[in-house]
Amino acid sequence: MTGPAPTTSYAGPSTAPAPAPARAPATPVSPVSHAAPHRRVRLSLIGARGTPAALQTLLVGLIIGSLVWGVVAALTASQHSSAAGEVASTSEPLSLAAQQMYQSLSEADVTATSDFLANPGPFSAFNNRQIYDADIANAAADLAKLRSAGAAVSSARLDRDLAAISAGLPVYTGYVQRAQTYSSLHYPLTGGSFIEDASAEMHVVLLPAASDIYAQESTALNSASAQATGLPLIVISILLALAVGYVLIRSQRWLTRRTHRRINPGLLLATVALAISTTWMAIAFVSARSDFGEGIGHGARPLEALAQASIAAQGGQGFEVLSLISNSGSTSFGSDFADAKKGIGPGSGSLLGTATADTPAGAGADAVNAAVRDAQAWYGASAAVFSFNPETTPYSDETKLVTATAPGSAQATFTKLEDDLRAGIRADQAVFTTNAASGSTAFDGLEIAVIIAMLAMVGGSAWGLSRRLAEYR
Amino acid sequence: VVLNYRTVLAIVATSTMTLIAGCGTMAARDGGTAGTLTENTSVDWPNDRLPTTPAAAKIVLKEDGSTLLASLIGKWAAAYHQQFGNVTFSVPAKPGGSSAGISEASTGQIDIGASDAFLSSGNLVQYPNMLNIPLGIAGQEITYNVRDVPASAHIQLNGQVLAAIYEGKITSWNDSQIKALNPGLNLPSEKIVLLHRAPGSGDTFLFTSYLAAQDPDWYKSYGFGSTIDWPAVPGSLVEASNGDMVDTCQTTAGCLAYIGISYSQTAAADQLGEAKLENASGNFELPIGPSMQAAVAYFISATPGNETISMINGPAKNGYPIVNYEYAIVSKKQPNAVKARDLKAFLYWAINTSTAKKFLADDDVQFQPLPVPIARLADDQIARIR
Repeated sequence: MTGPAPTTSYAGPSTAPAPAPARAPATPVSPVSHAAPHRRVRLSLIGARGTPAALQTLLVGLIIGSLVWGVVAALTASQHSSAAGEVASTSEPLSLAAQQMYQSLSEADVTATSDFLANPGPFSAFNNRQIYDADIANAAADLAKLRSAGAAVSSARLDRDLAAISAGLPVYTGYVQRAQTYSSLHYPLTGGSFIEDASAEMHVVLLPAASDIYAQESTALNSASAQATGLPLIVISILLALAVGYVLIRSQRWLTRRTHRRINPGLLLATVALAISTTWMAIAFVSARSDFGEGIGHGARPLEALAQASIAAQGGQGFEVLSLISNSGSTSFGSDFADAKKGIGPGSGSLLGTATADTPAGAGADAVNAAVRDAQAWYGASAAVFSFNPETTPYSDETKLVTATAPGSAQATFTKLEDDLRAGIRADQAVFTTNAASGSTAFDGLEIAVIIAMLAMVGGSAWGLSRRLAEYR
Repeated sequence: VVLNYRTVLAIVATSTMTLIAGCGTMAARDGGTAGTLTENTSVDWPNDRLPTTPAAAKIVLKEDGSTLLASLIGKWAAAYHQQFGNVTFSVPAKPGGSSAGISEASTGQIDIGASDAFLSSGNLVQYPNMLNIPLGIAGQEITYNVRDVPASAHIQLNGQVLAAIYEGKITSWNDSQIKALNPGLNLPSEKIVLLHRAPGSGDTFLFTSYLAAQDPDWYKSYGFGSTIDWPAVPGSLVEASNGDMVDTCQTTAGCLAYIGISYSQTAAADQLGEAKLENASGNFELPIGPSMQAAVAYFISATPGNETISMINGPAKNGYPIVNYEYAIVSKKQPNAVKARDLKAFLYWAINTSTAKKFLADDDVQFQPLPVPIARLADDQIARIR
């Protein structure tokens, strides 16, 4: 790399004495002959002693500039890649696990209490025990997943919620077990009081904690998505690249005028490396932003709306059961149910309204449309649950309002709505997962490429300018 | 294990010293109020978590709820005020019933709600800060006014027959189903007149619980609760309180009613009969101390920390089938530290001191004291008041 300068790069006929030594300076000969008068004055100030100093300054500046750009660009690539990877591999699965845990817990409670209400005597049969057991197992598995992930994140709020569920879940299952035991021993009233204990534990401790965990995981997902597509670092990287590129081009032009050599290979290498890596970075960012934008707008956002609708619907069904099982005092959850109904929608600003607007055509849209239809059916069937008067409505009729499974009943319509919501969530999750995975691969190899480019820029600048400097020795 | 006399002597000596030291400690702790030293030292166990005296400031504690608890609360209020002059109680002349006690305590209108029923899961979801703290053991008596049947005869009844009566399927005291339970008893051909309580009654909750526990058909058709859709039976009457139940029954030939145990002496004085009820083991029992204690004993180890448990129709061989804890419904989050301390001190006093316990045996109360493990759980709950 220290051989003679290629003659083909000369801009014009050299005025250097012939034969020129291989490492002879090429610049001292009449640079002024090609320069404008004002340039002549300025460059004369540099003089023969000033040019090496200027070259040295340029060399140091380019190396520092390349290093600074390289570090910032590598950091940008690393952070975006890491954030994109976290969205796809961690945040989204955890958000889903939190939503599923809530769903499983709520379903377990509704299953146990409904079974007890339907069969207070032979509750030992626990007809839907398999569903209950599966729900508890799923909730425990999701809890383990969330605890494992939570161990890596220091959050007092998350720790408190996870600890509440870890401690409360065995208490809950213990109450249900005791309810079953006493019922099977033909003490249905004692069994019933344990079902009330269980239900209170579920609604006062477990579900609020699960809901709060979902809110936190959802926030973390949004934060990771924003970080993967956020502008500040990428803008800084590109501005730095433009600045370094500008210096490289100006240096090239200055050297051309000083040396009559059109191209400095070292600076050319640095410029090309910078251009390629910056273009790569810009394309990767635009691609990832597009993928994540699609994934969030048509995947995560409607998914979150449907997940919240599911949680609200589960809560609404819980209110139905609580209204019936609370024998020892007058309670009505009619207004709570009305609030849940308003939040679920459909309609402008409601959760189903958001899902309808954001879900792309296809399976997801079909599921959301079905959810809109079945939600109305559920509201209609549930109206009777909250309007019965315990003084005038036969208890058997009250029980049937909640436990009947015939088409059109509150339970049947709720099951249909829940199936729709789950189908919609699955479809939206697929949209998000596909796009998030695509978005996260956009940054593959970029960090290494940026580091290689930085090394090439440092090496190229050093090589190119040191050759010119050597000519002055 | 072989114990020699030195070991036995050492154990006896150590135990005696511990007892003396314990008494001294309690005397010192309660010694701040003149005239209370002797009474307040009589507790079942040392307490180092709960205040045993109220704060110095004057305070009024508001109470409402169960008519069954009204008499006891009134006695406690007077005694506590006598002992701690700065604490007075506001109790209504006509208690609103258990549901009112729960509702008013939950919404902060009163400080202590008195209830025969525990808080439902619905109550707890709507008001998660509420606690139900047992104060004593009560029972429910089935009383009647049947001519020619001496009070000492004690008509025997069970849940199925009572359910049939309250469904209107049995209308006369000499019905074959009643006679089958009472061989040898000469029952008159007298129309049964049913009494039941107005909506929101803890006594209704207990009575219908017994019917539901013994009659699956009643459970499926009518369920149980403080408010239910009673079967339409011609001539049945609705009463507002236990006192009204007794008064009406006394003047109504053929009456059948359910009343809280505190009204059993009044009913007896009014020449009303007291039924023996069949328990889950098939034995007929009266609501007296031993049968009530026996019924509760089975559930001691099963009682959860929040003390929400139904003990209706339990398995104790000689247990009375309608027993329950009488609860104080209080919020664990009080508006200030003074009220929190005063409530804790009062509840601790009510459950643990001999001064308070002596009122349980009064004729117009007839409650049983809490078993020690249940009182321990109650203390744990009281300690949560802040």
